[in-house]
Amino acid sequence: MKNHIYAFGSVCRGEVTLGSDVDLLACIEEGDDRFSNELYSIYTYDRIIQLWEQGNPFAWHLALESRLIFSFDGNDYIKEIGMPKSYDLGKQDCEKFYALFRDSYDALINDSNSKVFNLSSIFLSIRNAATCYSLSIGDPVFSRQSALMIDTPAPLSAATYDLLEKSRILATRGIGNKVSQSELDHIIVELATVFNWMEKIIGKVK
Amino acid sequence: MNEFNSRITAQRKILEVVNSSEWDEELFSLASKAIDRWLASNRIDRKSSIAIIVRELGAKLFFLANKSQEQITDDYRSISTELGNLTSQLEKSISIHNLHADSIDLK
Repeated sequence: MKNHIYAFGSVCRGEVTLGSDVDLLACIEEGDDRFSNELYSIYTYDRIIQLWEQGNPFAWHLALESRLIFSFDGNDYIKEIGMPKSYDLGKQDCEKFYALFRDSYDALINDSNSKVFNLSSIFLSIRNAATCYSLSIGDPVFSRQSALMIDTPAPLSAATYDLLEKSRILATRGIGNKVSQSELDHIIVELATVFNWMEKIIGKVK
Repeated sequence: MNEFNSRITAQRKILEVVNSSEWDEELFSLASKAIDRWLASNRIDRKSSIAIIVRELGAKLFFLANKSQEQITDDYRSISTELGNLTSQLEKSISIHNLHADSIDLK
């Protein structure tokens, strides 16, 4: 059956760590059930075209960073469909991730019994806001470190960012250790500065 | 609230229900590998009702729990009713688990 398989994400950037996995994309026709959604991000060709027409950040990520692994016909499908339409939802997406940050921060400091999950969601909100911001200003950064790499970096130390990222890996892959109470206390102090940063980058997005 | 954030809120609520009980290690998320770790760390029978319901909830929230790269696509089906029903079942299972734990403590 018609299908194309791509690698994308950290492995294509050489950002390999013990905690990183290999992201695989399967482009398939409707009804092809050979691919496990535990192993692949599965998209039909029609859905890929929709994402491209929306100028979706994931479409830009794939267009700029994915690498072809297998092609049933020898052609590179993603290269052939060209670049996605312009990304126009930067402000809306950054506001969405700012709302996620606020909710997760509130849950974290209000004695949540799920601290790892909330730290993981905080990492997701900061990283994705930074990536959406970078894409909207025409200088896309898809790295997991995007919030520290953009022109307006998040006001977080490398150590705190690393602990947030480790919480994300713990929550999504079950690998690693929880942050200690003293580390958590320090993270919470630094996170209080993220509100201003989020508002600043939202203000800079058209 | 948009669909993406609603589903993270839904996951947070489910985790708060599970983690309201005392475990050796909390449930970190509804990702399948996090559930595997939680079951092993707490020596929970994989065929128990709690394990089955948590796995089912994880499957419903699969795109949120297991994937990160495409989470900004908002490409999700509506599953709110199913989640509500399963969460109610989970609350009952956690109550039964807590009762059982209390009765062991009393012995």
